[in-house]
Amino acid sequence: MVAFGPEQFPSGISPRLRTEVNRAIFYTWHLFCFHRPDPNHQCALNRHTGYAHWLSDHRANSVIHQPEETSTNIVDRLLDSQQQLTAVEKFSQRYLSVTAPANESLYQDLIPLEGLSDGEQYSFEIDLDACSGCKACVAACHSLNGLEEGEIWRNVGLLTGGDDFNPVVQHITSACHHCVEPACMHGCPVRAYEKDPVTGIVSHLDDQCIGCKYCMFTCPYDVPSYSESKGIVRKCNMCADRLSVGQAPACVQACPHEAIKIRKVSTEALRTESINQQDSSVGLLPGAPSSRLTLPTTRYVGKPTAVASGTPVDFHVGKSQHAHFPLVFMLTLTQMAMGVFATALLIRWAGEVDANGIKILNIAGFVALVAGLGVATLHLGRPDKAYRAMSGFRTSWLSREIIGFNLFAGAASGLLTLSMFRFWPEWIANKVEIVAMATVLTGILAVECSVMLYVVTGRPLWSAARTHSLFFLTSAVLGLSLSTVVLAVSSESASFGLRWISAGLVLVTILKLVTESRLLKHLKQTDSTPEKLSAQVLVTEKRPHASARLGLAAVGGLLLPALLAAGLFSANAVVPAVILFACTFLGELIERYLFFAISNARRMPGAPN
Amino acid sequence: MSTEVAPIEKQKSSLPPLPMPMERVFDGPLTQEMLLAPGKFGLGMVPDRLAPDATTSMVCGFCSTGCSLNVHLKNGQAINLSPAVDYPVNMGMACPKGWEALTPLYSDDRGTTPLLGNKGKKRKPIDWATAMETFCRRIKSIQQEHGNDSVAFLGTGQMPTEELAFLGALAKFGMGMKHGDGNTRQCMATAVTAYKQSFGFDAPPYTYNDFEQSDVFVFVGANPCTAHPIMWQRVLKNPHSPKIIVVDPRHTETAACATDHLAIEPKSDMSLLYGLARILIDNDWVDHEFINQSVNDFDAFACFVQAFTAERVERESGIVQERQLEIARLIHEGQRVSFWWTMGVNQSYQGTRTAQAIINLALITGNIGRPGTGANSITGQCNAMGSRLFSNTTSLLGGHDFANEQHRQKVADVLGIDPSAIPTEAGDSYDRMMEGISDGRIRGLWIVATNPAHSWIHQERGRELLKKLDFLVVQDMYTTTETAELADLYLPAAAWGEKEGTFINSERRLGLLKKVSRAPGQALSDFSIFQLVAHYWGVGDQFADWTDAESVLKILARISEGQPCDITGITDYQMLDERGGIQWPYPAQGANAEPERRLFEDGRFYHPDQKAKLIFDEPQGMPEPASEAYPFVLMTGRGSAAQWHTQTRTGKSKVLSRLYEINPFVEIHPDDAQRLGVTHQQQVLIESPRGKMTASARITPTVGRNRVFVPMHYEAVNQLTLSHFDPYSRQPSYKDCAVKIAPA
Repeated sequence: MVAFGPEQFPSGISPRLRTEVNRAIFYTWHLFCFHRPDPNHQCALNRHTGYAHWLSDHRANSVIHQPEETSTNIVDRLLDSQQQLTAVEKFSQRYLSVTAPANESLYQDLIPLEGLSDGEQYSFEIDLDACSGCKACVAACHSLNGLEEGEIWRNVGLLTGGDDFNPVVQHITSACHHCVEPACMHGCPVRAYEKDPVTGIVSHLDDQCIGCKYCMFTCPYDVPSYSESKGIVRKCNMCADRLSVGQAPACVQACPHEAIKIRKVSTEALRTESINQQDSSVGLLPGAPSSRLTLPTTRYVGKPTAVASGTPVDFHVGKSQHAHFPLVFMLTLTQMAMGVFATALLIRWAGEVDANGIKILNIAGFVALVAGLGVATLHLGRPDKAYRAMSGFRTSWLSREIIGFNLFAGAASGLLTLSMFRFWPEWIANKVEIVAMATVLTGILAVECSVMLYVVTGRPLWSAARTHSLFFLTSAVLGLSLSTVVLAVSSESASFGLRWISAGLVLVTILKLVTESRLLKHLKQTDSTPEKLSAQVLVTEKRPHASARLGLAAVGGLLLPALLAAGLFSANAVVPAVILFACTFLGELIERYLFFAISNARRMPGAPN
Repeated sequence: MSTEVAPIEKQKSSLPPLPMPMERVFDGPLTQEMLLAPGKFGLGMVPDRLAPDATTSMVCGFCSTGCSLNVHLKNGQAINLSPAVDYPVNMGMACPKGWEALTPLYSDDRGTTPLLGNKGKKRKPIDWATAMETFCRRIKSIQQEHGNDSVAFLGTGQMPTEELAFLGALAKFGMGMKHGDGNTRQCMATAVTAYKQSFGFDAPPYTYNDFEQSDVFVFVGANPCTAHPIMWQRVLKNPHSPKIIVVDPRHTETAACATDHLAIEPKSDMSLLYGLARILIDNDWVDHEFINQSVNDFDAFACFVQAFTAERVERESGIVQERQLEIARLIHEGQRVSFWWTMGVNQSYQGTRTAQAIINLALITGNIGRPGTGANSITGQCNAMGSRLFSNTTSLLGGHDFANEQHRQKVADVLGIDPSAIPTEAGDSYDRMMEGISDGRIRGLWIVATNPAHSWIHQERGRELLKKLDFLVVQDMYTTTETAELADLYLPAAAWGEKEGTFINSERRLGLLKKVSRAPGQALSDFSIFQLVAHYWGVGDQFADWTDAESVLKILARISEGQPCDITGITDYQMLDERGGIQWPYPAQGANAEPERRLFEDGRFYHPDQKAKLIFDEPQGMPEPASEAYPFVLMTGRGSAAQWHTQTRTGKSKVLSRLYEINPFVEIHPDDAQRLGVTHQQQVLIESPRGKMTASARITPTVGRNRVFVPMHYEAVNQLTLSHFDPYSRQPSYKDCAVKIAPA
């Protein structure tokens, strides 16, 4: 039996025509089977196809219940009637020709009536006294904006605290804060964010987005949410299209208690207020990120005591974060490349190894760099649009990083071709050292961009000091450790250099371990600071990783290089050097994994974690 | 916090425009996907790809608020919804459950065919004919061997009135069963009994407009902010700057909005209420005129409450004497005082008398029958009120009495059946049916749209009893509820939105359900399943007039004639649709067509002498108070507005599941936590003499010392609860049992 459902017809075919087509197929089928077409069998047909409405002129309720109805008939009749949708046919249509929203009068006072003056923008104003925590705002936003399954643009958190006389139970609803200085926009490498010059609404250009997720790092409020299926992020745009025609945003429309309003705020006033604020860490709410990062415009009004003495219920235990594996490899490999080129240059200056060894080092550096940059594209939701990624260079450290790595890769390939091929005229071949220096300098520049990428997010674990130390020391560790292999392999007379390099490796490994372990001192804090939560994750959930990382560093960065430096293995240093390199490389990968995985930051109550 | 934050960096650029390869794409398929379009039909803007070609409104299928949802249709099929604006209940608003009401319909675990198994194991799909033959054969054979009463049914407050009536009539008048009850026993039985005894009929007197009229509210064991947020909307619309008194051991969201929160000791509400009555009477703050005209037994009551001295009430409830006087004064000074209660009262071993202690306060102060007053039970489930009147379980159809011969005759006449087919007494309550399974009296059970394997008090024993049955039929929209997974026969049911019918909400309003979505596979509406059962059982003729839901409403209207819940004036579904629902009573003759009406405006009640009764009893202590071994009282209750009961439906929505804690948590006082060495969000083990569960500690002074609170939606919580009941309503007491706590 064959029949087509509505979606199988080309669009624009009327239900009536669909009915007729299916009817024709039905009769033809029966004729083909030497049956006489029997309209009574249409029930069975309906059930079979599951698309009963195309037989709307043959409603099941026209089938009259007969006392002598057989058991088969009644099952068929009921199954058939179950598939009939009756609401439109049976009941009159309200608002058939009404175009204005029926609920207009409910929200008129909740959105600004007149336009914005210069220096003003729209913002959310949340009345904490009115919010009961029902979360209709979240569900309404989902439905009225047609979001993906499970996608939400608003979150509701809960503050508790206070004392027996004034216990706190305060729900907090928050969405995008449409910041005066939107970090999402400044960070975006493809300029996929726009801040409307009039309304101040920060909106996202979905088709421009390449899915790099960097805005998810830069936004302190965890607002942009990533869609795996679409490969892009999306976020609240304050229902700009609704506001533009005088309709309230979905959340404003849906709040039974009128707790969410759209108000006008002066951006300059926000700026001044923030500058005058003595404590630079003050945020919108307890535990929230510093407002100084982005100047969020949302205002929480009412219940000052509740807010002051409350703590978000989800703030006491750190959670492991997304690890971003492509970035783990990209950062480790590119930093290793820079370290390798730098070590090669040092060795060249020290004259400790023949040209062949340096060539091998340069090739290794180049391979690491290309592998690192290649693997980075795996992080993109829409890698085919990666070509756009430099266009945000005026504000985005990600664009700058890409430019930096392009320069680095350009210099490195120059160096490689210079040292690989013999056909260069003398005056060019002479410049190898200069090109090598240029390679190292561009490499440092690129790694510095990588560092800044994380520093500007304002996340405590990614502070300037810590990130600089970690990233550049990774260069040093891996540059030196790979050099031990090359020196051990390529040069018989390398024992002196190998010992120095090994000693250097011990030194930088110690520095690196010190940098990493300084986080642990926060465990003693009484407040649940992001550093403490991160350290908690490190010593609990991520303890196996932390132990592995420490073990690998101890073997590859301390024990083996110390033995090499002490002159053991002088007969054959290749095997220990290879083990040493493998250990340090793996150790650095784990360190970088933890860089992401334990990084707890301050956040809004109820923000996705 | 320690992080140093860099000053604001102004990142505006004055560089020239960028070259072409750096252009931006402002439009494309991803942008189009988010495009909004005028929704027409009074909708405002809607997602372009979900623009409807018609709309229709229908009442929500979760709680008893009875909001109307405006369903957006394309080719007759629901594609989205928004709250209806011109409905007198919700006025354009809905809670998250309402917004997400369509999502649970599309879940993968919907039943698409009957399943035959053995205690839920080795389930095989079968066709309806086989299912019905099995159903009738197995039940008849049990009845032949052990008597008709050995098979019982268990209904719900989640089904339309017409289906509830069909189930009750079919089981009792057609299949000869005597015992049948519903999950409404777990939420509303107490209010039913209290009203019946006090007023002479189960009649919540209020209309939601009363929320806007009161100048004093007294909420007892109610947290409408979370459990009924759309009712709370009306409280916030109240222009009279009302005093809001909340009596609740927990500092709930509602308590946080209160002007006066009385954080009483668990289960001391009765003492407090009697104490307040004593103060009102002693100060002569009572309405003598109203009492003389409309209330019986005042003198006995006045005498009884003398024992509830301020000292005693302070000792039992923890509310100091001055505070008691203040609260009584507020009630006295209020011009329009309304009293509201929910599960904190109903789910109590002395709930009926507690509810009546509230009713008594309203009666002696004359706060009933006027705008903004009343002793008002806020109902739980969407059709608990329909179940109360028409499920044919505790009362005969239409709020009649099985024991009353005239009532039996009247119902039999309307139905055209022999009066002898009607049992002469109500069957067992839920708990007694469960006991019946234990002692072998009940051997077959037909469960429709409820989930006792999760929700029944002292869950482990409940499950053992279900497994003990010879034959368990579960009729549900999902194959995966804890109960469906124990069934011998599973029948796939169509859900809310896939069938027609009516619900009755908390304020007695009949609201309409419509068919806006297709049931999956071979799922049938419960109504159709009952039609099939009637046919296969051989009583099809008896229900020949029960052709569809609307015809049944007309039959029920005829049965209701002359009852307080007379709805003979409701002619058809179109009328309900056009009027925005209609509150009972709505008799054919002399009906008041006001959209919002309250009862008892004439001061006449439903007892034969038209007076209300003051009913009271000595309060009892908890049967399992905190002890040395189990030093905490465990309270349970609603977790959030995004969760519904055992979460069979709300658990299906990925949006809703982001709005509450997925894993169980327990609220515990900071001092107790410190004593136990428990820190925030630490996993703890909660253990009662019956079972244990682990939960994450939420340390908060919103619960008192020596008490803990766990939301009821987590399956494990009813492994802890103590099986005990109100003696009059047989409602389980879920909110008091002793537990101990230790770090897990």
